[in-house]
Amino acid sequence: MMHQSLNLLPLAKLEVGHHLYWQLGNLKIHGQVFITTWIVMGLLLIAAIAATRNIERIPKGIQNLMEYALEYVRDLAKNQIGEKEYRPWVPFVGTLFLFIFVANWSGALVPWKLIHLPEGELAAPTNDINTTVALALLVSLAYFYAGFRKRGLGYFAKYIEPTPILLPIAILEDFTKPLSLSFRLFGNILADELVVGVLVLLVPLFVPLPVMMLGLFTSAIQALVFATLAAAYIGEAMEGHGGEHEAH
Amino acid sequence: MNPIVASASVIAAALAIGLAAIGPGIGQGNASGEAVAGIARQPEAEGKIRGTLLLTLAFMESLTIYGLVIALVLLFANPFAG
Amino acid sequence: MFDFDATLPLMAAQFLLLVAILNQVFYKPLTKSLDDRDNYIRTNNTEAQERLAKAQRLAQQYEQELANTRRQAQSVIATAQAEAQKTAAQELAEVQREVQAQFQQVQQELDQQKQVALQALESQVGTLSRQILTKLLGTELAS
Repeated sequence: MMHQSLNLLPLAKLEVGHHLYWQLGNLKIHGQVFITTWIVMGLLLIAAIAATRNIERIPKGIQNLMEYALEYVRDLAKNQIGEKEYRPWVPFVGTLFLFIFVANWSGALVPWKLIHLPEGELAAPTNDINTTVALALLVSLAYFYAGFRKRGLGYFAKYIEPTPILLPIAILEDFTKPLSLSFRLFGNILADELVVGVLVLLVPLFVPLPVMMLGLFTSAIQALVFATLAAAYIGEAMEGHGGEHEAH
Repeated sequence: MNPIVASASVIAAALAIGLAAIGPGIGQGNASGEAVAGIARQPEAEGKIRGTLLLTLAFMESLTIYGLVIALVLLFANPFAG
Repeated sequence: MFDFDATLPLMAAQFLLLVAILNQVFYKPLTKSLDDRDNYIRTNNTEAQERLAKAQRLAQQYEQELANTRRQAQSVIATAQAEAQKTAAQELAEVQREVQAQFQQVQQELDQQKQVALQALESQVGTLSRQILTKLLGTELAS
């Protein structure tokens, strides 16, 4: 798009906005995102299957690890959604957390850059805006679904509950939620990879290490934030703005 | 590309990230200070306070990230480049 | 950078698929195992508590029985001692009485024999003195 201007900048070598395009019918898709996504999903599936292949009463090894992960996401969902309703939402929220977490860390830990593609480069799947927007839209759909399921058409009462004057803001909120969710994740991961890329470009050895550690930390926190917010939105939609929980 | 648009974009990108860092910086400082005060007052609640603090810091951080996204858009996907 | 295309819906579909698969192979079995373990621990816990209560009750009961038995044993010992003392005293007294009686009897017999001997001696005194006289003075004087 603006390759000429980019060539003036050292960032130009970082290849932002280049993709390995795959043609699917008459649709274009980003191949590198799918490759890493499949790897991430494969890792998750392998871990899950290895953990549940023979379940023992006294867990050890991988089963212990995955049980810890499961209890972690269960607690997360329980804290945000509430003791009574959280159980059906554990798979969704938990998979959000696990997928984003593994995707982010794969982007930070696996040296994807060593694998050369014809165009573009492999990176964390969450490095692509399509992925994060897809996840954020799924969260939106999920909390609408949760609200309708729980309260029927009474769900719309939350838009005019305190006063109808706030109706535009309430509607706007439904748009800003997925926007901020997706941009937060996308921006954090992209920024992390860019910072590491720039530092590697300037000083290839050792100096980028602290930033990489920070990147690992931010990646984990962002996965947690995404899952927490998703669970919080779902919980909020189910308990409603007004009524007994006004003090919230 | 029009050189005026290019230079304006670069300056705007710098301003976007710089200005977006001010507010969250103040907010994060406030939050961390309060958290430290809270821990000093109630050392047994340290774990809970730290968890909440990290989450809130991430929220504040995302404000800067929005600025960063704008800066990146201006640099790499400038809509006015054409 | 912001080039949305078919990646978005495909990613969403993929993610939902992942949720469905993980729900089957990961969340359901592991949640079940966690719940099972919780149940197991809870039942074991209550069972153990019941057993502990039972054991404590039994121990208390045994202790009470032990105390009872000890008290009984003590009382048995006391009565036995008292009885033994009584019989000992009785026997002692009897023996003493017997000894006394024998002693008295012996004394009496002795006295009697002394008396008899004395009487015998007294009866012999006349004849003896006459014999002595005859021996000393001769028979003429004596007759």
